[in-house]
Amino acid sequence: MIYAIMYGLTVGAVLYLISVGFSLTFGTMRVINFAHTITYTLGAYLLIASMRSLGVPFFWGGMVGVAVAALAGYGIERFVIRRLYGESLDYTFIATYAVFLIGVDIVKWLWGVFPKPVSDPLGKTVDILGFVFPTYRLLVILLAIVVFFGLELFMRKTMVGKIIVAALDNREGVRCLGIGVEKYFSLAFVLGSALAALGGVLYAPITAVHPYMGSHILLLCFAVVLTGGLGNLRGTFLASFALGMLISITGRYWPAGSEIVAFVAMAAVLLARPIEA
Amino acid sequence: MLQVAGIDVAYGHAKVLHDVSLDLEEGKMLFVVGRNGAGKTTLLRTIMGLLRPLKGSIYFDGGDITGLPPEQLYHRGIRYVTQDKKVFGSLTVRENIEIAAYSSGEPLSQALDKVLEIYPKMKDFLNLKAGQLSGGQRQILLIGQAMVGNPRLLLVDEPTQGLAAIVINEIARILKHLKGRLSAVVVEQNLPLVSQLADRVVVLKEGKVTQVLDDASEICNTSLLEKAL
Amino acid sequence: MGNVVKERGLVLEKTFVAVGKQLTQAGVGQKALELILIGVVFLILVPFLGAHRATDFAIFCIIVLSFDLLYGYMGRLSFGHLLYVGVGAYTVGLALRYLTTNPLLAIVLGIVAACLAGMAVGAITVRIAGAAFALANLAFNRVGWFLVMSPLKDITGGENGLSIRNLSFWYVNFRNPTFRFWFVLASLLLVFLFLRIFTSSSYGVLLRSIKEDEKRVRFLGYNTQLYKWVTFVLAATVAGFGGALTALNYGYVNPNTLDVHANAGIVFACLLGGSGRLYGALLGGIIYMLITNLLPVYFQRWEFFLGVALLLIVFRFRGGIWGGLEALYSGLAARVKSGSSKEGMSR
Repeated sequence: MIYAIMYGLTVGAVLYLISVGFSLTFGTMRVINFAHTITYTLGAYLLIASMRSLGVPFFWGGMVGVAVAALAGYGIERFVIRRLYGESLDYTFIATYAVFLIGVDIVKWLWGVFPKPVSDPLGKTVDILGFVFPTYRLLVILLAIVVFFGLELFMRKTMVGKIIVAALDNREGVRCLGIGVEKYFSLAFVLGSALAALGGVLYAPITAVHPYMGSHILLLCFAVVLTGGLGNLRGTFLASFALGMLISITGRYWPAGSEIVAFVAMAAVLLARPIEA
Repeated sequence: MLQVAGIDVAYGHAKVLHDVSLDLEEGKMLFVVGRNGAGKTTLLRTIMGLLRPLKGSIYFDGGDITGLPPEQLYHRGIRYVTQDKKVFGSLTVRENIEIAAYSSGEPLSQALDKVLEIYPKMKDFLNLKAGQLSGGQRQILLIGQAMVGNPRLLLVDEPTQGLAAIVINEIARILKHLKGRLSAVVVEQNLPLVSQLADRVVVLKEGKVTQVLDDASEICNTSLLEKAL
Repeated sequence: MGNVVKERGLVLEKTFVAVGKQLTQAGVGQKALELILIGVVFLILVPFLGAHRATDFAIFCIIVLSFDLLYGYMGRLSFGHLLYVGVGAYTVGLALRYLTTNPLLAIVLGIVAACLAGMAVGAITVRIAGAAFALANLAFNRVGWFLVMSPLKDITGGENGLSIRNLSFWYVNFRNPTFRFWFVLASLLLVFLFLRIFTSSSYGVLLRSIKEDEKRVRFLGYNTQLYKWVTFVLAATVAGFGGALTALNYGYVNPNTLDVHANAGIVFACLLGGSGRLYGALLGGIIYMLITNLLPVYFQRWEFFLGVALLLIVFRFRGGIWGGLEALYSGLAARVKSGSSKEGMSR
């Protein structure tokens, strides 16, 4: 049972990292970015590629993955999202889905369809109260917590962060105060993409790395964001871990149902709290 | 100072303003009155660049500002205080002002002084989250926020709506204080207030200007009102 | 000499305009003409593609039509529409296996099941505004897919799918490809007629108003949630009908029927043809099926092509093909008008 909880926390940590960006984009621009998880996928694949082709250790491979994926995120924002900014959200959704399709195909073309295994980079374990946990997973959880506090600081103490918070509250108000929100949304977007890539890098040793991994996690991400509240970063944090645990514990007793459980939770939240425009 | 020349504004296919014009001289206060749905908010939003007129032009300070976005208009000195009294609820009062200060390039201490000058009691609220303020306090915060930087023209939408009498007096005091120092276009339904403060009154009915009064006391003439509204 | 050429040119344009006018005006005679036209189009396809393929096309068109009701007319993008196709298909499969030997009854059951599913899911998702609606429906679609693959594996056959027995009953023989073709064509015409009447009615006007500005419609006193829900259920029901027909057409159902990613194809077909117009949906359905069937290259890297094509449509060609035709029509109609008046003047 305790292992299920540990696994749940790990999944929650990864979910958090990926969902932050999604929540921000959804909260600021009201845009559902289906391509969000392309950076997640890219992060994982670039990690593997740099480790295999460049012989680089996990850490540096991860850095490469995050950096390049963030660049890709910037490209998506610049050439797709920004073009459709202010227009129908549906078109943006379709456009980002199109980007997702193209991205998946590029991944398949470059690296093939078969899942690539990535081994635990640390390979060590930690003994806590008689239970043995992989150090790596603990590290992932810690990282997520660090990122959370880092983001909190950023949002609360820096000017840029405060503007983003203000824009989440009242986008028009920010514009009428003479500040062009688009720049800040772009920043939030790239930040979110980088974090998603980090999520991909960190999750790679734990999950199967395959071209469609993004679409699978996106739905979970969506469930997290809906449950935690759009643009509500604290809610996203809590919801990620809650859903992570839910999935993991359900997986222990009813392996088939672990996936659905997240969506049941999401449906329950939606019934109680529908989203208005 | 501000000249609106024959603008038509529509939401989708529904035309809301028809050939609306108005003139405002520097330092004067112009009040816009009319029934609900007459198009008063639409007028302010169009001047602020949130809406684009289908035809007609808007001139400010000698320059053509038609179609310019609100971000640019802010830096030209136009301030828009909205009807829904929406502040940045997750930020503190101080941070709300800080954003305005950042945007206009004014030092925060100076900006705070300006706000406290209008409403000294705001000092007690500076560290409260703006979402916790009452409606009247938010309205005053918004007006204070508008004072930051170098405001030349205030666009205020129904400042006394939904507020208690005491608070209305407070707002009236603030507006009186601003009279002569700023130009302003104010939408109001509180007619006694209008007669006290207005240099000019424009009456809007169903998107058209039906009356322009240069003697504000006339606004209390009920027979005139019935015809115009 | 030049004048004669011009006059001939005008004649062509005049005919185009005249036919176009006929097609866009309401009236019983009109509807009959439209149905005949559609029937003819499909009949033309048969010698090129074979009855089986043509039936495929027709079924796909039914599904695209149902999607267009939701997206084109009401303006709500759902990325999980295939769920109802799957429900219809699997219900037919299961019904014929365990409940009945009458395929027509199975179809009815399939439609009812899809309707019920639509009611349940719609009740939750219709409350969601914006693009989240698309994703929420996607989530439900995936849950459905997952249910079919895993927990209900024993009845649905999981990955391997279900084969369908009992395909004939009295004179109703689904084993015969020709019969299938006519049955499906009749179904398509029925669906088209129904949607035609539906969208030209005052309900249709209400739908389009909701698409343009829901707030305003609500202010007029309408319960827009209810109307959205009803439309959703309707779209789901028609999709279920398409699913039922799919099952009978192949004699086989598998989870690909509700594959989440296949939704992109439907969206694309709808946009390609031109959303918000029944003809657009039909056109899009046919052309999309032609593309996927005749371009194996496309099929190899289909995701890439589909992605690029979608981007192109979103950035440049929002009206789709039908939109382009309409623009052409109005341009020509204007020219014909001015051309005729010029003629009058020169006399």
